Amino acid sequence: MITLTDFLVVSVMLFCIGLYMIVSKRNAIQILIGIELILNAAILNLVAFGKHDSVNNSGQIFALFAIVLAAATTAVALAIILNVYRKYKTIDPGKINNLKD
Amino acid sequence: MLLLVSIIALPVHIYSTAYMKYDERYSRYFTYLSFFCFSMLALVVVDNLVLFYAFWELVGFSSYLLIGFWFTKDKAVQANKKAFIMNRVGDIGLLSAIIILFTQFHTFDILTLFANKGLIAQSVVNNGLWIAPTGQLPAIWQYIAVAGIFLAVVAKSAQFPLHTWLPDAMEGPTSVSALIHAATMVAAGVFLLGRVYPMFTETELTILACIGCFTAFMAATIALTQNDLKRILAYSTISQLGFMILAMGVGAYASSLFHLATHAFFKCLLFLVAGIVIHQMQHIRDDNDLDIDPQSILYMGGLRKRLPLTFIAAIIGGLALIGLPLTSGYLSKDGILIQAFEWSEGKSVWLKIIPLTALITSWLTAFYVARLIFKVFFGDLRLLNIHPKLKLHLTDGGWQYKLPLALLAVCCLFPLFSFNPFSYEQGWLFKGLNISRITKFESVYHLIIPVLVNVISLVVLYLAYAIYVKQNSFAFSQTGFLYRLSYNQWYIDKIYKRVFVKPVLGFGKACFWFDKNVIDGLIHLLTKLSGYAARLTAWADKYIVDGFLHLIATIVQSIGNFARKFQTGKVQYYLFSMLVIVLLLFILKILI
Repeated sequence: MITLTDFLVVSVMLFCIGLYMIVSKRNAIQILIGIELILNAAILNLVAFGKHDSVNNSGQIFALFAIVLAAATTAVALAIILNVYRKYKTIDPGKINNLKD
Repeated sequence: MLLLVSIIALPVHIYSTAYMKYDERYSRYFTYLSFFCFSMLALVVVDNLVLFYAFWELVGFSSYLLIGFWFTKDKAVQANKKAFIMNRVGDIGLLSAIIILFTQFHTFDILTLFANKGLIAQSVVNNGLWIAPTGQLPAIWQYIAVAGIFLAVVAKSAQFPLHTWLPDAMEGPTSVSALIHAATMVAAGVFLLGRVYPMFTETELTILACIGCFTAFMAATIALTQNDLKRILAYSTISQLGFMILAMGVGAYASSLFHLATHAFFKCLLFLVAGIVIHQMQHIRDDNDLDIDPQSILYMGGLRKRLPLTFIAAIIGGLALIGLPLTSGYLSKDGILIQAFEWSEGKSVWLKIIPLTALITSWLTAFYVARLIFKVFFGDLRLLNIHPKLKLHLTDGGWQYKLPLALLAVCCLFPLFSFNPFSYEQGWLFKGLNISRITKFESVYHLIIPVLVNVISLVVLYLAYAIYVKQNSFAFSQTGFLYRLSYNQWYIDKIYKRVFVKPVLGFGKACFWFDKNVIDGLIHLLTKLSGYAARLTAWADKYIVDGFLHLIATIVQSIGNFARKFQTGKVQYYLFSMLVIVLLLFILKILI
């Protein structure tokens, strides 16, 4: 029987992998993938906890919303990355340090 | 007075053009001289006490300038300082008198104050109060005002005890001495007396007479033994001014001013004569490179033949000064003497001394004038006895010298003042000045005095002739007490030196010492203390205040630098930092 804990373990693993990718990767696309992984971890949590909710299927529906929003966010992020590439001719975030003081 | 000043000033100016011809400060001399004439004329015409005071000061100031005209001579500088300071003493008196008069009468107008029925005439001193139509003051103020005027007169007209500046004032050019210190300025004091005459009460007038009499006598005795030509004349001026004051004191108001006028002429004449003589002596000195004092009568003599016109002028001036008949001096001086005797009639015995002293003084006058003239003009030139090989070319000088002499000599004779040469009452000037004060009564004095004066004067003249020209009779011992007293000018200068000058100098030195050691020391101490305090403050400022600020700045900077290290601009780094912090928070939360 798959318990809530199993879900949460998978979710934590996904979150950690995503976080690690965001912090360590040198490619903006890969960082974006890391963000997606974190989002998926969160959605998994929503679905997992939805089973114990008093309202039926609310978790699943919330998850669907989140997926749609994630897709939209990804599109926007990709557009930003495209623009960044146009300006800096690179998508390595380590080399874009214009925010430095 | 207006006429008098102008008439005297004209010959002196003409004379000066020649006398000062070779002086390098020729134009300056005339500037000063004109300045003096302006002040003097203004002094005579003003009708306001404040203006009077102002011109009184200006006259004193121009006199100061002219006495010190040869300011490279140390003696001249000393003399003009002395004259100025002594005049200041008198000016204080005049100023305080004017202030008191204004307080009492609320006006400065001389006419309103001193006219026949003016404010002064209407005021009385009664029961210790000085009552006037405009108010009343304690009587003491009246005495102070009179004393102030008195002081002013004494200083300006060189009366005892403030007379010592006048002989010293002879350091100025001779023409200046003639105009200022013989004829006009010194007469200003008498003139002032004449203007404020109604102020004086009977007692005050008596004091005035005493002072005048004493001064006349003292100055005459001093003049007997002086050897400096101009000094003799200066003392004789003091003596004659004493006569004028005396005349004022005994109520011979008109005679006093009359004498003032006649004296101005003959004294000016004598001074101009002295100027010529001194000038010639200077020529001798410069031509022959001698080291002599050109003013000393010891070197002169026998100038009668060499300077004939000067000699005649000197004789006329001298006779007028003695007061022999047919001269103007006779008219005025006998007027004074007669009225002095009339005044003492019915007074106490002590007051009879005054006219007697005046009489004796007039004989002394005869003697010193004779001595002067005989020594200068008769006998042989004594310089030749000492230096036998002298080149001499003496003359009376050009018309600029001759004309003033002639003019003044004519003025010294009687017709200018009175058609009757023996009666002063006939003089037009006398009549014009007479202001109803004189009680006219015929007395024996009118006959006795002139005869007495002139007979004895002639005797004295002969005596002097015998002593100084024939040199056959007794010579005065030059060591006796009286001689020394006279020669040293009654030691008055020395007394002043000891009593006033030395203490003042000593006081000055003490003040200087006090200033230098105590006050300066205090200030230096303060300086040092504040220096130390300032250094302490500077140190505190630098190390404590600034140090504190620097410390804060350093801390802030280091914090900033520390924080800056996180601001790399790398997005991932930010995220990493955030992660670390969140983890730290969690760890902390678990631990606590």
